[in-house]
Amino acid sequence: MPDDRITQAIDQYCVRLRRALRGVPSGERDEIVQEVRMHLLERIESEQHMTEEAVSRVISAAGDPKELAKECEMQAMFRQAATSRSPWLLLHTTLRWAMTGGAGIAAFFVTVLGYGCGAVFYLCALLKPFFPSRIGLWLAPEHTLSFGYWNGRLSGTEVYGVSVRPPASFVLGTLGPTEGPIRELLGLWLIPIGVVCGALLLLVTTLFARWFIRRFGPHESDGSPSRLVPSVSRTA
Amino acid sequence: MAILGSLWTGRLYGLEILHLLERNASLGLAEGTLYVILNRLKTDGLVESEWVDAGTGHPRKYYWLTPAGRQRLRGMARFWIRFAADLETLLEPALGRKELANARR
Repeated sequence: MPDDRITQAIDQYCVRLRRALRGVPSGERDEIVQEVRMHLLERIESEQHMTEEAVSRVISAAGDPKELAKECEMQAMFRQAATSRSPWLLLHTTLRWAMTGGAGIAAFFVTVLGYGCGAVFYLCALLKPFFPSRIGLWLAPEHTLSFGYWNGRLSGTEVYGVSVRPPASFVLGTLGPTEGPIRELLGLWLIPIGVVCGALLLLVTTLFARWFIRRFGPHESDGSPSRLVPSVSRTA
Repeated sequence: MAILGSLWTGRLYGLEILHLLERNASLGLAEGTLYVILNRLKTDGLVESEWVDAGTGHPRKYYWLTPAGRQRLRGMARFWIRFAADLETLLEPALGRKELANARR
């Protein structure tokens, strides 16, 4: 049986592991810590001599708790995001995912675009009563349609919001400067239309982000080559 | 896939899985990582587990494949075999048939 000194070393490792896993649901955290603890005990008992070197070798073979925690937290975050309604969590998850590869970048780009457009529609509906002559759906030269805030200049016109120019130009941000007359199309109808379009965009973006995470997210144990043997190195 | 594969023939606990991976597939991993992966596979419904008192003074957690895990492993194995065969076709000119046959051993 391991003596107190060895048990203490294992307990210290488990405390570090538990602390590092604080972002993981408590049930899962308890299971992992308990299992790693049993693993360390059995590994140490199988050593011929329970020396300090042997103990520290066994503990270091278990891996750095912070690295293990990173893996767990990513998994927990993806699982939570796959069923979440929180735009913040979905944006945060797709941002973390974007740092790991192409699928994540695509997911983050579409999520930012969807939520960004939704936020513009909501914000315009909210601010229309305070800036009735500056916020609207604007028709500019070359059939450009812009939903947002107009800077009020007839020359050097700029609109901040969402702009579409046929056949295939789309801008989220600043459009302009453009020359020529600009006309508002909706008046106070902008308020209900902004609310409905904003809500639809938030809903569609949330559903898309959740589907994309479920289908292509790294938490899913599918058969793509990069996930067949995760975090494993080939030994000599 | 390697971890699922190690469970194909029956129930194993963590240390047995590690030994099997090292012995049969020359695969080594940070040992704590194994439990993180097993935890994920369990959450995905691919393995099931239970604590068993093995009479060694502390319990062991045994894992086994669920029907979904077996199905997933077969899909992964098919994918991997095709993938490896395609790569082998690509690499054969570089090594030659004789050296390739030696490398397979």
